[in-house]
Amino acid sequence: MTLLQQFILPRLLQWFIVLIVGITLIFLIPRMSPVNPVQDALGRILQNQALAPEDVVQMRDQLTANYGLDGSLFDQYIRFWTNLLDGDLGPSYGAYPTRVNDMIGRALPYTVALLTFTTALGWIIGIIVGTLAAYYPGRVTNFVSGVLVVIYPVPYFIIAFIFLMALTYYIPYFPLIGVFRGEPGFNSEFITSYLHSTFLPAVTLLVSGLSFRFIMARALGTAELSSDHVQYATMAGLPDRRLMYSYVARNTMLPQITDLGLSMGTIFSGALITEAVFSYPGLGTLLLQGIYQADYNVVMGITILSIIAIATASLIVDLCYPLLDPRVRYR
Amino acid sequence: MLRKSIFVVIALLLLVPALNVTAQPSGLPVDVPREELFVMDQIFRHPVVDNFNGWVNVPQVQPHRHAMIFETLWYLDQETGDIMPGASGEPPVYNDEYTQMTVTLVDSLKWSDGEDFNADDLVYTVETMKANSGLNASGWNSQLNQFLDTVEKVDDYTVTFNLLSPNPRFHKLFQARWNGIYMMPEHAFSQIDDLVAYTYEDGPVLGLYSPEDMDPNGYWTLFKRREDPGNSAVCQYLMREECGPPYILTILYGDSTKKAIAMSRGELDAFFNVDFEAFNSVLETTPTAQSWFPDFPWAYPNETSSRFIRFNFDTQPWTNNKDVRWALALALDIVTLQTEYIGGVAKVVYMAIPYTPKLSELYYNDERMQTWVENLEIDVAGEPYKPYDATVADRIAEWADEQGYAMPGPDAAASYGSGWWKFDPDTAATLLEHNGYTRDDNGDWWTPEGERFGFTLQATPDEPDSFRTANAAADMWSDFGIDVELQGLERSVWSANFNIGQFEVDSPWTSLVLPDGDGWPNLRGRHSRYYVPAGEHYNSLGGGVPERLQDPVLDELIDAMESVHPEDPQNVTLMQEFLQHWVENMYYISTVSFKKFVTWNELYWTGFPSSENPAYMPLYWFQGGRFSLAGLEPVGG
Repeated sequence: MTLLQQFILPRLLQWFIVLIVGITLIFLIPRMSPVNPVQDALGRILQNQALAPEDVVQMRDQLTANYGLDGSLFDQYIRFWTNLLDGDLGPSYGAYPTRVNDMIGRALPYTVALLTFTTALGWIIGIIVGTLAAYYPGRVTNFVSGVLVVIYPVPYFIIAFIFLMALTYYIPYFPLIGVFRGEPGFNSEFITSYLHSTFLPAVTLLVSGLSFRFIMARALGTAELSSDHVQYATMAGLPDRRLMYSYVARNTMLPQITDLGLSMGTIFSGALITEAVFSYPGLGTLLLQGIYQADYNVVMGITILSIIAIATASLIVDLCYPLLDPRVRYR
Repeated sequence: MLRKSIFVVIALLLLVPALNVTAQPSGLPVDVPREELFVMDQIFRHPVVDNFNGWVNVPQVQPHRHAMIFETLWYLDQETGDIMPGASGEPPVYNDEYTQMTVTLVDSLKWSDGEDFNADDLVYTVETMKANSGLNASGWNSQLNQFLDTVEKVDDYTVTFNLLSPNPRFHKLFQARWNGIYMMPEHAFSQIDDLVAYTYEDGPVLGLYSPEDMDPNGYWTLFKRREDPGNSAVCQYLMREECGPPYILTILYGDSTKKAIAMSRGELDAFFNVDFEAFNSVLETTPTAQSWFPDFPWAYPNETSSRFIRFNFDTQPWTNNKDVRWALALALDIVTLQTEYIGGVAKVVYMAIPYTPKLSELYYNDERMQTWVENLEIDVAGEPYKPYDATVADRIAEWADEQGYAMPGPDAAASYGSGWWKFDPDTAATLLEHNGYTRDDNGDWWTPEGERFGFTLQATPDEPDSFRTANAAADMWSDFGIDVELQGLERSVWSANFNIGQFEVDSPWTSLVLPDGDGWPNLRGRHSRYYVPAGEHYNSLGGGVPERLQDPVLDELIDAMESVHPEDPQNVTLMQEFLQHWVENMYYISTVSFKKFVTWNELYWTGFPSSENPAYMPLYWFQGGRFSLAGLEPVGG
């Protein structure tokens, strides 16, 4: 009862408030911007043709009604929540009459597959190599540290561009865009082409993510090595492997797990620039397209997904703390 | 052991896709032999992939698709200004009052399922679109309701339109620059309950191609030539049983760099445009690539639009002062702008009319216009002053010669455009001083109210020539002593600003006339009756006056043009008067025509239009681009 009242319920309430406030802001912000999706769409339609002014007015009225942007801001807000609670994110303005749910549903698996793999792999490798580097300082680990420390501050879109130039132009082994063959699913044609097309964006994200994890793990490991309990265990003559795994690595895991949880949450907003550089059809490119086309509903849909994912990941990490850290449990 | 295992797993995960490279035949998404496949740059990602219904009112336009699948009655070629035949091979015939239009259809066209195309299809198309407000692509439903009373079949290949009021331009609804009302197959569409919801993925086409395969993510679409190409309008126009590549793939690679790489890899045969730097890379990396000209200035110069500096007449009092506008024009050095900022690759224009073969003949080189501009006088502090400088093209030619570039056209004007305004800062200073402006010891200008004379100049960097025009103007006006703040804005913000009149000066693009020289369709929305003040969207009343200009003289000319047939010489005369009044008031400071590095690679296909083969425009993404695609031949026959 005490755990529920003092620990779980306040966090659930906090999670709920974050969602309501976040989603309300996401509803309001695009509407406060000077960019009007109806005028934007009208601009695209009229770009290369001359219409009678009376027809322009009629088209604008039609588009406003189609987009559900008629009525007051309050009417739109009520309609927005009603639809959202029904699981309907509304029509896309740029791809009308396609539903935003369908567009996100199509892009989501690509992003989740790419980012889950690269985030998890970067996390595992970064922590292992970083902890080893902290524990066994030497020429090899110093060399690896040197390389990763140099890579870390390089913006990941620069790394993406370097890979793009190196492996599509100078050594033209990889496709320039996501070329997916066959029906999406578990069939060899699709999987083969998927791996082929995803290699460059995956490596880009992996290299960027890995260097951050490595630096973090090495710093945490180095700090942990100088702590009293590790010094004491060393003097007690515990074997190296036990010292490293049970005393150093385990004690550095708490911030790493927190960060992993939050990183997994951000997966749902996509890897915007990497996806754009490699024309990868995930949530990042969808979001970019939505921004360019003033497609509020697409932008809102992806952002809502991201808010829910980050808030939920944060909640889960919070709720898991007592399991990972006895100090939290006893407090 | 554990470390070894982890290393092996990671290495395998990384290497499996890399090793798989050898299994991939190419970076193209389809397995069609290249001698049967033409690959062209898709100008954006299709937001709706599997819906080819081009009649419904949706915000997405249909570049490429309209050129391949759909057919309308006539096409407007931007290179020649000529009307090209589509489903009709003859011009429309109006009665004397312009209340009735009769159209004769080509009598030998068939839909791809073998059914004849005839008057029933045209009547069905018009009646169906008029009756269904959901079929309002490009405003066709509302325009048919606005202008058309009834449509009647006269015989199998003749149709008469009875109009609600006199309208000598009704046929323009069926005359494509970008698009025109697409013909519907009556025999197929009459069986469909809901044409608005219909996706038209596998319906019969009247065009040369139909969709074959597509990327669910919208990056590419494969089109297949119909089994009976000889029954299409474009092959019949070319008088060939077979024309165009068997397959066309439109593919979106993305930015200029990726297009350049794709072309060097032999995975792109034609692209729409790239920046100047990427174009140079293409020339270096792909020896078989070329743009419109094989050498300088390379780019295609005749897309119907032009760059200019625009004033907002609703923001600052000085924008309404003709003398100040002229002073700003005379403080610009167009030769420097065209050469150092634009690289010499776009033609100079002094009006918002591109210098295409057709339009230069009507509006620049016409004797009446030449005489007018050469004798044009403006009042400078009570003294007449002739601002026109006819030597501009010659001076650009000299610059090009110094760079080692040969002249691409028969003379300097054909190569580099019209004359322009003298670069005369002294006269510009006199104009400002005459209006109460003062200049301090630093050379800075101050307004009559005692404030520093300056303004913001907005431009969007993703339109390079507009942005470079703005950069040139900002530099030159700053040198002249004006406090100019250049703002490079993301396109949607830039558009939003001019939509609601939140700018002082900006750098946009337009043409005041269509490629055939007709101005009224582009000007009617500029009538003062559609004026709305800054702060509201400029087209709140449906019009098109982002600069918030009201001028009764222009209104009278627009009204006069409305009732004149577009091919009547009087229409051109009225347009010339419009332009003269516009220029005399310096409403825009026009700079250069549009140019595009539309480029193709002759590795697999030849016959794309070029300066050596200028029969059609190379603008393949317009509906009339069908002609440039239909003329392609595989290299080596």
